[in-house]
Amino acid sequence: MPTAKDLQALGDQEVVELAKAGREAAYRELLRRYERPVFSLIFRMVRDRTLAEDLAQETFVKVLNALGSYRPEYKFSSWIFKIANNAAIDQLRRRQLDTLSLDGSPEARTADEIEATALQATDRAESPLEELESRETGAAIERAIDRLRPEYRSCILLRHVEGRSYEEIAEVMDLPLGTVKTYIHRARLELREYLADLKT
Amino acid sequence: MADKQLDDSDLDLFVLRELSSLPGLAPSRGFQDRVMARVGLPRPATLVGLQRAGAWALQPRRAAALATAYAACVLTTILLAGPWVAAHFSFVTLGASWVVGHVGGWMDAALVAVASWGVRSGVVQALRSALGTGARLWATVATAAILYAGSGYGLHVLLKAPRRGHELSRAL
Repeated sequence: MPTAKDLQALGDQEVVELAKAGREAAYRELLRRYERPVFSLIFRMVRDRTLAEDLAQETFVKVLNALGSYRPEYKFSSWIFKIANNAAIDQLRRRQLDTLSLDGSPEARTADEIEATALQATDRAESPLEELESRETGAAIERAIDRLRPEYRSCILLRHVEGRSYEEIAEVMDLPLGTVKTYIHRARLELREYLADLKT
Repeated sequence: MADKQLDDSDLDLFVLRELSSLPGLAPSRGFQDRVMARVGLPRPATLVGLQRAGAWALQPRRAAALATAYAACVLTTILLAGPWVAAHFSFVTLGASWVVGHVGGWMDAALVAVASWGVRSGVVQALRSALGTGARLWATVATAAILYAGSGYGLHVLLKAPRRGHELSRAL
Protein backbone atom coordinates (compact mmCIF):
# COMPACT_ATOMS: atom_id res chain seq x y z
CA MET A 1 0.00 0.00 0.00
CA PRO A 2 1.58 3.36 -1.03
CA THR A 3 2.30 5.84 1.76
CA ALA A 4 1.41 9.54 1.65
CA LYS A 5 4.97 10.24 0.48
CA ASP A 6 4.72 7.66 -2.32
CA LEU A 7 1.45 9.22 -3.44
CA GLN A 8 3.11 12.62 -3.79
CA ALA A 9 5.39 11.15 -6.47
CA LEU A 10 2.49 9.79 -8.54
CA GLY A 11 0.65 11.56 -11.34
CA ASP A 12 -2.96 12.69 -11.01
CA GLN A 13 -4.30 9.76 -13.04
CA GLU A 14 -2.56 7.19 -10.86
CA VAL A 15 -3.78 8.84 -7.67
CA VAL A 16 -7.31 8.92 -9.08
CA GLU A 17 -7.10 5.18 -9.82
CA LEU A 18 -6.06 4.50 -6.22
CA ALA A 19 -8.90 6.70 -4.97
CA LYS A 20 -11.33 4.76 -7.14
CA ALA A 21 -10.09 1.60 -5.40
CA GLY A 22 -11.21 3.15 -2.11
CA ARG A 23 -7.89 4.44 -0.70
CA GLU A 24 -8.65 7.36 1.62
CA ALA A 25 -5.01 8.52 1.41
CA ALA A 26 -5.43 9.01 -2.34
CA TYR A 27 -8.49 11.21 -1.77
CA ARG A 28 -6.52 13.29 0.69
CA GLU A 29 -3.63 13.58 -1.77
CA LEU A 30 -5.97 14.99 -4.43
CA LEU A 31 -7.32 17.42 -1.85
CA ARG A 32 -3.80 18.42 -0.84
CA ARG A 33 -2.81 19.04 -4.46
CA TYR A 34 -5.81 21.12 -5.45
CA GLU A 35 -7.18 22.79 -2.31
CA ARG A 36 -5.02 25.91 -2.77
CA PRO A 37 -5.42 26.39 -6.55
CA VAL A 38 -9.18 25.74 -6.40
CA PHE A 39 -9.73 27.91 -3.34
CA SER A 40 -7.55 30.71 -4.77
CA LEU A 41 -9.44 30.70 -8.07
CA ILE A 42 -12.85 30.75 -6.40
CA PHE A 43 -11.84 33.35 -3.82
CA ARG A 44 -10.46 35.68 -6.50
CA MET A 45 -13.71 35.27 -8.40
CA VAL A 46 -16.20 35.84 -5.56
CA ARG A 47 -14.06 37.96 -3.15
CA ASP A 48 -15.69 36.46 -0.05
CA ARG A 49 -13.76 34.03 2.11
CA THR A 50 -16.69 32.17 3.67
CA LEU A 51 -18.48 31.86 0.36
CA ALA A 52 -15.26 30.78 -1.36
CA GLU A 53 -14.77 28.04 1.25
CA ASP A 54 -18.32 26.82 0.78
CA LEU A 55 -17.97 26.76 -2.99
CA ALA A 56 -14.56 25.07 -2.83
CA GLN A 57 -16.02 22.47 -0.47
CA GLU A 58 -18.95 21.86 -2.83
CA THR A 59 -16.51 21.54 -5.73
CA PHE A 60 -14.42 18.90 -3.98
CA VAL A 61 -17.44 16.96 -2.69
CA LYS A 62 -18.89 16.90 -6.21
CA VAL A 63 -15.60 15.84 -7.81
CA LEU A 64 -14.60 13.23 -5.23
CA ASN A 65 -18.06 11.67 -5.11
CA ALA A 66 -18.11 11.43 -8.91
CA LEU A 67 -14.63 9.95 -9.36
CA GLY A 68 -16.24 6.78 -10.69
CA SER A 69 -17.53 8.71 -13.71
CA TYR A 70 -14.21 10.51 -14.35
CA ARG A 71 -12.86 9.82 -17.85
CA PRO A 72 -9.06 9.49 -17.85
CA GLU A 73 -8.71 10.92 -21.37
CA TYR A 74 -9.30 14.35 -19.80
CA LYS A 75 -6.88 16.03 -17.45
CA PHE A 76 -8.01 15.79 -13.83
CA SER A 77 -6.98 19.41 -13.26
CA SER A 78 -9.20 20.56 -16.17
CA TRP A 79 -12.15 18.71 -14.69
CA ILE A 80 -11.79 20.11 -11.18
CA PHE A 81 -11.11 23.68 -12.42
CA LYS A 82 -14.14 23.45 -14.70
CA ILE A 83 -16.41 22.56 -11.79
CA ALA A 84 -14.83 25.22 -9.57
CA ASN A 85 -15.12 27.88 -12.27
CA ASN A 86 -18.75 26.99 -13.00
CA ALA A 87 -19.57 27.20 -9.29
CA ALA A 88 -17.96 30.64 -9.04
CA ILE A 89 -19.61 31.97 -12.23
CA ASP A 90 -23.04 30.68 -11.12
CA GLN A 91 -22.55 32.39 -7.77
CA LEU A 92 -21.60 35.68 -9.44
CA ARG A 93 -24.68 35.51 -11.69
CA ARG A 94 -26.93 34.83 -8.70
CA ARG A 95 -25.31 37.67 -6.79
CA GLN A 96 -25.82 40.02 -9.73
CA LEU A 97 -29.52 39.13 -9.83
CA ASP A 98 -29.82 39.61 -6.07
CA THR A 99 -28.12 42.99 -6.29
CA LEU A 100 -30.47 44.19 -9.01
CA SER A 101 -33.58 43.06 -7.23
CA LEU A 102 -32.55 44.13 -3.72
CA ASP A 103 -30.80 47.38 -4.41
CA GLY A 104 -33.06 48.81 -7.09
CA SER A 105 -34.74 51.96 -5.80
CA PRO A 106 -38.35 51.44 -4.68
CA GLU A 107 -39.22 54.78 -6.30
CA ALA A 108 -38.03 53.58 -9.70
CA ARG A 109 -40.96 53.16 -12.07
CA THR A 110 -39.51 52.86 -15.54
CA ALA A 111 -36.94 50.37 -16.82
CA ASP A 112 -34.43 53.20 -17.20
CA GLU A 113 -34.85 54.28 -13.59
CA ILE A 114 -34.42 50.68 -12.36
CA GLU A 115 -31.31 50.28 -14.46
CA ALA A 116 -29.90 53.58 -13.23
CA THR A 117 -30.42 52.71 -9.56
CA ALA A 118 -29.10 49.18 -10.03
CA LEU A 119 -25.95 50.45 -11.64
CA GLN A 120 -25.48 52.86 -8.81
CA ALA A 121 -25.88 50.01 -6.35
CA THR A 122 -23.21 47.84 -7.99
CA ASP A 123 -20.73 50.65 -8.56
CA ARG A 124 -17.35 49.44 -7.41
CA ALA A 125 -15.79 52.80 -6.66
CA GLU A 126 -13.64 52.49 -3.57
CA SER A 127 -13.83 54.72 -0.56
CA PRO A 128 -10.65 56.76 0.04
CA LEU A 129 -9.84 54.54 3.00
CA GLU A 130 -10.24 51.39 0.92
CA GLU A 131 -8.08 52.89 -1.81
CA LEU A 132 -5.33 53.73 0.65
CA GLU A 133 -5.58 50.30 2.25
CA SER A 134 -5.43 48.66 -1.14
CA ARG A 135 -2.29 50.53 -2.13
CA GLU A 136 -0.67 50.04 1.25
CA THR A 137 -1.15 46.28 1.21
CA GLY A 138 -0.13 45.92 -2.40
CA ALA A 139 -3.55 44.55 -3.29
CA ALA A 140 -3.99 46.79 -6.34
CA ILE A 141 -3.65 43.90 -8.73
CA GLU A 142 -6.33 41.99 -6.81
CA ARG A 143 -8.62 45.03 -7.08
CA ALA A 144 -7.89 45.31 -10.77
CA ILE A 145 -8.72 41.64 -11.31
CA ASP A 146 -11.95 42.17 -9.41
CA ARG A 147 -12.98 44.83 -11.95
CA LEU A 148 -12.70 42.45 -14.90
CA ARG A 149 -15.68 40.63 -16.39
CA PRO A 150 -16.05 37.16 -14.76
CA GLU A 151 -15.05 35.36 -18.00
CA TYR A 152 -11.92 37.51 -18.38
CA ARG A 153 -11.16 37.02 -14.71
CA SER A 154 -11.33 33.21 -14.97
CA CYS A 155 -9.12 33.18 -18.05
CA ILE A 156 -6.47 35.52 -16.68
CA LEU A 157 -6.35 33.73 -13.31
CA LEU A 158 -6.07 30.29 -14.89
CA ARG A 159 -3.40 31.46 -17.33
CA HIS A 160 -1.18 33.75 -15.30
CA VAL A 161 -1.81 32.73 -11.68
CA GLU A 162 -2.38 28.98 -12.02
CA GLY A 163 -0.12 28.63 -15.08
CA ARG A 164 -2.58 26.59 -17.18
CA SER A 165 -2.14 26.24 -20.96
CA TYR A 166 -4.50 27.97 -23.41
CA GLU A 167 -5.82 24.55 -24.47
CA GLU A 168 -6.62 23.56 -20.89
CA ILE A 169 -8.34 26.88 -20.25
CA ALA A 170 -10.44 26.35 -23.38
CA GLU A 171 -11.43 22.93 -21.99
CA VAL A 172 -12.19 24.36 -18.54
CA MET A 173 -14.24 27.26 -19.89
CA ASP A 174 -15.90 25.34 -22.73
CA LEU A 175 -14.74 28.00 -25.16
CA PRO A 176 -12.91 27.90 -28.51
CA LEU A 177 -9.16 28.37 -28.26
CA GLY A 178 -9.31 31.64 -30.20
CA THR A 179 -11.87 33.09 -27.81
CA VAL A 180 -9.69 32.20 -24.84
CA LYS A 181 -6.71 33.97 -26.41
CA THR A 182 -8.86 37.03 -27.16
CA TYR A 183 -10.24 37.10 -23.60
CA ILE A 184 -6.74 36.91 -22.11
CA HIS A 185 -5.47 39.62 -24.45
CA ARG A 186 -8.37 41.93 -23.59
CA ALA A 187 -8.07 41.17 -19.89
CA ARG A 188 -4.40 42.13 -19.99
CA LEU A 189 -5.25 45.35 -21.79
CA GLU A 190 -7.83 46.22 -19.14
CA LEU A 191 -5.43 45.36 -16.32
CA ARG A 192 -2.82 47.59 -17.93
CA GLU A 193 -5.30 50.44 -17.96
CA TYR A 194 -6.34 49.90 -14.35
CA LEU A 195 -2.76 49.66 -13.17
CA ALA A 196 -1.36 52.48 -15.29
CA ASP A 197 -1.98 55.03 -12.52
CA LEU A 198 -0.25 52.86 -9.97
CA LYS A 199 2.81 52.50 -12.18
CA THR A 200 3.16 56.27 -12.66
CA MET B 1 4.79 56.32 -30.91
CA ALA B 2 7.92 54.43 -29.82
CA ASP B 3 7.51 55.78 -26.29
CA LYS B 4 3.91 54.62 -26.20
CA GLN B 5 4.91 51.09 -27.33
CA LEU B 6 7.65 51.00 -24.75
CA ASP B 7 5.22 52.12 -22.09
CA ASP B 8 2.70 49.48 -23.10
CA SER B 9 5.20 46.63 -23.11
CA ASP B 10 6.62 47.92 -19.83
CA LEU B 11 3.13 47.94 -18.33
CA ASP B 12 2.39 44.50 -19.75
CA LEU B 13 5.51 43.12 -18.10
CA PHE B 14 4.49 44.80 -14.85
CA VAL B 15 1.00 43.24 -15.06
CA LEU B 16 2.42 39.78 -15.77
CA ARG B 17 4.93 40.09 -12.95
CA GLU B 18 2.22 41.17 -10.52
CA LEU B 19 -0.08 38.35 -11.63
CA SER B 20 2.56 35.67 -11.29
CA SER B 21 3.54 36.94 -7.86
CA LEU B 22 0.01 36.55 -6.49
CA PRO B 23 0.19 34.04 -3.62
CA GLY B 24 -1.79 30.80 -3.53
CA LEU B 25 -4.51 31.19 -0.92
CA ALA B 26 -5.32 28.40 1.51
CA PRO B 27 -8.73 27.52 2.93
CA SER B 28 -9.12 27.47 6.71
CA ARG B 29 -7.81 24.65 8.89
CA GLY B 30 -9.84 21.44 8.80
CA PHE B 31 -10.97 21.99 5.22
CA GLN B 32 -9.82 18.52 4.13
CA ASP B 33 -11.64 16.84 7.02
CA ARG B 34 -14.84 18.76 6.29
CA VAL B 35 -14.71 17.62 2.68
CA MET B 36 -13.84 14.02 3.57
CA ALA B 37 -16.77 13.87 6.01
CA ARG B 38 -19.07 14.38 3.00
CA VAL B 39 -17.31 12.00 0.62
CA GLY B 40 -18.39 8.37 0.36
CA LEU B 41 -15.38 6.10 -0.16
CA PRO B 42 -16.03 3.29 -2.65
CA ARG B 43 -15.94 -0.23 -1.19
CA PRO B 44 -14.89 -3.42 -3.03
CA ALA B 45 -17.76 -4.75 -5.15
CA THR B 46 -17.54 -8.27 -3.65
CA LEU B 47 -17.88 -6.92 -0.10
CA VAL B 48 -20.82 -4.72 -1.08
CA GLY B 49 -22.47 -7.70 -2.83
CA LEU B 50 -22.00 -9.99 0.18
CA GLN B 51 -23.32 -7.35 2.58
CA ARG B 52 -26.36 -6.71 0.39
CA ALA B 53 -27.04 -10.43 0.02
CA GLY B 54 -26.65 -10.90 3.80
CA ALA B 55 -28.97 -8.01 4.60
CA TRP B 56 -31.49 -9.31 2.07
CA ALA B 57 -31.39 -12.89 3.35
CA LEU B 58 -31.52 -12.00 7.04
CA GLN B 59 -34.99 -10.49 6.90
CA PRO B 60 -37.31 -12.94 8.80
CA ARG B 61 -39.62 -13.85 5.93
CA ARG B 62 -36.80 -14.23 3.42
CA ALA B 63 -34.72 -16.23 5.92
CA ALA B 64 -37.64 -18.62 6.44
CA ALA B 65 -38.15 -18.93 2.68
CA LEU B 66 -34.44 -19.62 2.14
CA ALA B 67 -34.37 -22.25 4.93
CA THR B 68 -37.45 -23.96 3.44
CA ALA B 69 -35.90 -23.91 -0.05
CA TYR B 70 -32.68 -25.37 1.34
CA ALA B 71 -34.55 -28.13 3.20
CA ALA B 72 -36.56 -28.87 0.06
CA CYS B 73 -33.36 -29.18 -1.98
CA VAL B 74 -31.82 -31.61 0.52
CA LEU B 75 -35.04 -33.63 0.74
CA THR B 76 -35.42 -33.80 -3.05
CA THR B 77 -31.82 -34.94 -3.42
CA ILE B 78 -32.34 -37.70 -0.83
CA LEU B 79 -35.61 -38.76 -2.43
CA LEU B 80 -33.99 -38.95 -5.85
CA ALA B 81 -30.76 -40.53 -4.66
CA GLY B 82 -32.51 -43.12 -2.38
CA PRO B 83 -34.04 -45.30 -5.13
CA TRP B 84 -30.83 -45.12 -7.17
CA VAL B 85 -28.71 -46.25 -4.21
CA ALA B 86 -31.20 -49.06 -3.50
CA ALA B 87 -31.01 -50.21 -7.13
CA HIS B 88 -27.19 -50.15 -7.16
CA PHE B 89 -26.59 -51.17 -3.57
CA SER B 90 -23.87 -53.74 -4.19
CA PHE B 91 -21.94 -51.34 -6.43
CA VAL B 92 -22.22 -48.55 -3.87
CA THR B 93 -21.09 -50.72 -0.95
CA LEU B 94 -18.18 -52.06 -2.94
CA GLY B 95 -17.07 -48.57 -3.90
CA ALA B 96 -17.57 -47.24 -0.37
CA SER B 97 -15.58 -50.09 1.23
CA TRP B 98 -12.79 -49.53 -1.30
CA VAL B 99 -12.63 -45.80 -0.46
CA VAL B 100 -12.88 -46.39 3.29
CA GLY B 101 -10.22 -49.13 3.13
CA HIS B 102 -7.75 -46.97 1.25
CA VAL B 103 -8.34 -43.78 3.19
CA GLY B 104 -8.27 -45.67 6.46
CA GLY B 105 -5.01 -47.35 5.42
CA TRP B 106 -3.42 -43.98 4.63
CA MET B 107 -4.59 -42.53 7.93
CA ASP B 108 -3.28 -45.51 9.88
CA ALA B 109 0.09 -45.25 8.15
CA ALA B 110 0.28 -41.50 8.85
CA LEU B 111 -0.63 -41.98 12.52
CA VAL B 112 1.98 -44.71 12.97
CA ALA B 113 4.60 -42.54 11.24
CA VAL B 114 3.86 -39.55 13.51
CA ALA B 115 3.84 -41.72 16.65
CA SER B 116 7.11 -43.44 15.83
CA TRP B 117 8.71 -40.07 15.01
CA GLY B 118 7.50 -38.77 18.38
CA VAL B 119 9.04 -41.70 20.21
CA ARG B 120 12.29 -41.67 18.23
CA SER B 121 12.85 -37.89 18.48
CA GLY B 122 12.16 -37.77 22.23
CA VAL B 123 9.19 -35.36 21.95
CA VAL B 124 6.92 -37.75 23.83
CA GLN B 125 9.48 -38.15 26.61
CA ALA B 126 9.93 -34.39 26.88
CA LEU B 127 6.17 -33.82 27.08
CA ARG B 128 5.76 -36.48 29.73
CA SER B 129 8.48 -34.97 31.93
CA ALA B 130 7.11 -31.45 31.39
CA LEU B 131 3.58 -32.33 32.40
CA GLY B 132 4.74 -34.68 35.15
CA THR B 133 1.98 -35.25 37.64
CA GLY B 134 -1.78 -35.25 37.07
CA ALA B 135 -2.05 -31.84 38.79
CA ARG B 136 0.29 -30.29 36.22
CA LEU B 137 -1.67 -31.86 33.41
CA TRP B 138 -4.91 -30.36 34.72
CA ALA B 139 -3.27 -26.95 35.16
CA THR B 140 -2.07 -27.08 31.53
CA VAL B 141 -5.50 -28.08 30.28
CA ALA B 142 -7.15 -25.27 32.32
CA THR B 143 -4.65 -22.66 31.04
CA ALA B 144 -5.20 -23.79 27.47
CA ALA B 145 -8.99 -23.56 27.95
CA ILE B 146 -8.71 -20.02 29.39
CA LEU B 147 -6.41 -18.94 26.53
CA TYR B 148 -8.83 -20.43 24.02
CA ALA B 149 -11.81 -18.58 25.53
CA GLY B 150 -9.77 -15.34 25.70
CA SER B 151 -8.79 -15.64 22.06
CA GLY B 152 -12.41 -16.21 21.12
CA TYR B 153 -13.48 -13.07 23.01
CA GLY B 154 -10.62 -11.08 21.45
CA LEU B 155 -11.68 -12.12 17.97
CA HIS B 156 -15.27 -11.18 18.77
CA VAL B 157 -14.18 -7.68 19.87
CA LEU B 158 -11.92 -7.20 16.85
CA LEU B 159 -14.50 -8.31 14.32
CA LYS B 160 -17.33 -6.26 15.86
CA ALA B 161 -18.61 -3.40 13.64
CA PRO B 162 -17.17 -0.01 14.72
CA ARG B 163 -19.42 2.00 16.97
CA ARG B 164 -20.66 5.49 16.10
CA GLY B 165 -18.36 7.03 18.69
CA HIS B 166 -15.32 5.66 16.86
CA GLU B 167 -16.45 7.16 13.56
CA LEU B 168 -17.05 10.53 15.18
CA SER B 169 -13.66 10.56 16.83
CA ARG B 170 -12.04 9.71 13.47
CA ALA B 171 -14.02 12.43 11.74
CA LEU B 172 -12.88 14.98 14.33
